[in-house]
Amino acid sequence: MNFDQLKDQWNESETSSNEISENMLKVTEARTPIDQIRKKMKHEFFGQLISLLILVIAPKIFHFTKELTTIYILFYGIICGFMAYYFFKFYLFYKHSYDLSLDSRKNLLWFYYEMKLNLELYKALTYIVGFILLAFCAIALFTINSELLNKIFAKVSLTYIAINIIVTILLVGIITELWAKFYYGKYLKQIKKIVDSMDEE
Amino acid sequence: MLETQKAFLQQINDNKGIIHKVSKMYMDNVLDQEDLFQEIVMQLWKAYPSFKGSSKFSTWMYRVALNTAIVFFKKENRKIDKTPLQEQLDIADINDSADKEEKLAYLYKAVQELNQIEKALIFLFLENQSHKEIAQNLGISEVNARVKLNRTKEKLQQTIKNNGYEF
Repeated sequence: MNFDQLKDQWNESETSSNEISENMLKVTEARTPIDQIRKKMKHEFFGQLISLLILVIAPKIFHFTKELTTIYILFYGIICGFMAYYFFKFYLFYKHSYDLSLDSRKNLLWFYYEMKLNLELYKALTYIVGFILLAFCAIALFTINSELLNKIFAKVSLTYIAINIIVTILLVGIITELWAKFYYGKYLKQIKKIVDSMDEE
Repeated sequence: MLETQKAFLQQINDNKGIIHKVSKMYMDNVLDQEDLFQEIVMQLWKAYPSFKGSSKFSTWMYRVALNTAIVFFKKENRKIDKTPLQEQLDIADINDSADKEEKLAYLYKAVQELNQIEKALIFLFLENQSHKEIAQNLGISEVNARVKLNRTKEKLQQTIKNNGYEF
């Protein structure tokens, strides 16, 4: 195969005669991995915002006592604080523009680490919110039905309770990791694969 | 129309062959090629403020176009054209039997077997870029660019041969 000849033919080959018009400059849905992740984060943001609004009425729905409502408001406030902090970080990521005129390696590494960092932030937020909610559920159980709990504690050993707590923590961890992997992981994996193919000697 | 937009469109139309070739190189399906074409134009427009004119417009365009194509996600569940190339060419031959077209059609088909970086290497090579320029565009060493390009050429040659063609 003569590559020089091929090169000449390549350079002589005709390309599309269609003119690029101003309509093509109008921003449609971008399909780089970062844009895809940003889009999903935007969806999740609205999803979580709706969840927060629904959580506001939880004391009314579940007929919380006055004491429990006070504790709930405290926990709710903590969740809102964490969410505000993390969503501010995500917003910065969402608004941060990227520079595709860098060399390919720098560009890919930027995409990779930026995505990885945001994915870690996302996981951290999920852990925090998950554990705060679990802690509240435990407190609520104590407050609502302390007699029943006392009976349970009298019957089961501390080891059994400890194992249950560990299993719950592990479950939260596994669900978070799987969700992140399923929802965002494929983009990271693809970029990593390209970076690795560049590094191969 | 804004002056900036006008200037951009003028320059991009003068060099649209780059976008067209990158799209054909990275996507085998016509609809995906159109999507990638649109995406590159959009990313070029978004990145246009960063073009300071210190390099040629086409040099800057190569980078943005290739970087977009490398990370581009094609639409899932799109029907892929699995017609063997010979069948496609037989139809094309009725209208145009040019040998050149046939060679390029085989090239584009074989290129689909390459990974994103290999495609970039072959593209830049065909665009008459030196090993040094290829290395600079991809951000790898010149030696690495040379080694990778040679390997990619061999791979491409083999694929074309396996597809029942040789030139």
